[in-house]
Amino acid sequence: MKLKSDVNDNDLLRLMLAGDEEALAALYRRRQGSVYRFALQMSGSRSIAEDVTQEVFLFLMREGHVFDDSKGTVGAFLLGVTRVHVRRRLRAEHRLEPLGDESEDDDLFMQSATDVCPLEDLTRAETIESVRKAVLSLPPKYREVVVLCELQDVSYGETAEILGCAIGTVRSRLHRGRALLLAKLRPAEDVEETSSASVKSARCFA
Amino acid sequence: MNCQRFETMVSELARGQMMAAEQRTEALAHSDACDDCAARLGDEQMLTLGLQSLASEMESLEAPREIEAKLLEAFRARTVVVPITKRQSHSRYWLAAIAAMLLIAISVVVFRWSNRQGDEPRQAANQDKRQEQPQPAVSNKSNEQLAHDVEKPSVDYLFPQPAKPKRIRPVSLRRPNNASVANHATKEIATDFIPLSYMSAASLQQEGGQIIRVQLPRSALANFGLPVNMDRYNEKVKADVLYGVDGMARAIRFVQ
Repeated sequence: MKLKSDVNDNDLLRLMLAGDEEALAALYRRRQGSVYRFALQMSGSRSIAEDVTQEVFLFLMREGHVFDDSKGTVGAFLLGVTRVHVRRRLRAEHRLEPLGDESEDDDLFMQSATDVCPLEDLTRAETIESVRKAVLSLPPKYREVVVLCELQDVSYGETAEILGCAIGTVRSRLHRGRALLLAKLRPAEDVEETSSASVKSARCFA
Repeated sequence: MNCQRFETMVSELARGQMMAAEQRTEALAHSDACDDCAARLGDEQMLTLGLQSLASEMESLEAPREIEAKLLEAFRARTVVVPITKRQSHSRYWLAAIAAMLLIAISVVVFRWSNRQGDEPRQAANQDKRQEQPQPAVSNKSNEQLAHDVEKPSVDYLFPQPAKPKRIRPVSLRRPNNASVANHATKEIATDFIPLSYMSAASLQQEGGQIIRVQLPRSALANFGLPVNMDRYNEKVKADVLYGVDGMARAIRFVQ
C-alpha cells in the first residue's frame, strides 16, 4: 500500500474531496508551514496567521474542487487563497494600508525606519527584527512580492500565478520593494546622501 | 555597461539569480570601476543576507497542532460529500420514475375517459326511454277533469306505446367542446401496439410513421397470443398497422 506521504498534492486533494481523512492530514502537514508563515509574514500577527491557516484549509475542504491543475500547483493555489484571506482580515481590522500611488511610495522611500544602520552595526538578531519590521511596513503590493520571492523562495512564475499578474510585474515590484526596504534600513544621513546622489545620477542618465 | 544598465540588474546580481555569464562579468567589472554602483551592490547584498536570515529564522515556524485537530474534527463533522456524477445519476433515476408514474396516470385517465365515451350512447338511450315513460303531469286541468281522469284511466297506461325509435343526437352535441380525441378513440378499444420487428416500444414512438386501418381474419389474433372467440371465428377483426417512414410494417394493434 502506498503511503500518503508519497502521494503528490493533486492526488491528495482528490482523495480528500472524496472523503479521505488521511489525505487531508497529509496535505495539511505538507502545506501548513508555508501557509502559516506567509500569513504571519504578511500580517505580523500570530493570531491572524493561525486563523487564516485554519480558514484556508476549511476553504480547501469546501471548495477544493475549484482547483484546476492546468493553472498551477496546489501549493500556489493555497498561497493564493491565503493571500486573499490575509488581505480580507487586515482590511477588516484596518491594519492594511490602502494601496498608495507612486508619490506615497516615494515618501516611504525617503522615510527611515531606524536611526542606526542595522546592516553594519546591529547584531544578527536585531538585524533580523529590523528587516522583519521593514518588510511589514512595506505597502501590501510590494510586501507580498518580497515575502513570496525572498522569504518563501517562490519562483517568479509561481508568484505571478498567486498574485494573478504578469512575471514582468513581479520583477518590477520586487525591484521596487527591495529599494524601499533599503531606504527603510538606511540611517537618515545616508538617505540625504542617497537622494542627492540619485539626483546626480538622474542628471547623468538624462 | 553604464550605471543605468547596472541598476536594472543589481537586484538579480545580489540575489544570485540566473543571468547570462557575459552580463554578469560586465556588471561586476562596472561595480569595480564605479564606487556608487559598488556601494549599491554592497547594500543589495546586505539586504539579501538580511532577508535570508529572516527567512531561515522563520523557516521552522509552523501552525499550532490544535489547528490540525480542529480541521480533522470539522472534516469528520461535515456532511458526506457526494460526487457530482453520482448525484446526477440519482436525479436521472428520479426523473425516469416520475415520468413513468405520469405516463401510467395519463394512460389510466385516457382509458377511463374512452370507456365513459363508449357508455354515453347507452346512457343516452336509457335516458330517452325514461323520458318516454308517463310522468305525473303537472297540468292546469280542473278538478272535474282530474276526477274524470281518475275514473277513466288513460289508455296509455294500460297499453303502453311501443318505444319510439332511438334518437341519435349529433356527435357534436354529445361530446364536450374541449374533446380533441380522434373519432374512433371514443368508441373503440385497442390493444397496445405489438412490434412486428425487433424494436422496442420507445423506439416505435420516436420513429413515427403512418397508421393504416385493415381487416384481418380473427385467427390472426392467435398469432399474437391474444384469445380468440371461437363463436365468431369466421368474422374479421379490425387492426391498425403502423408503417415506418421506409414503408415497412413496424407494429400492429387490434381494435374492437
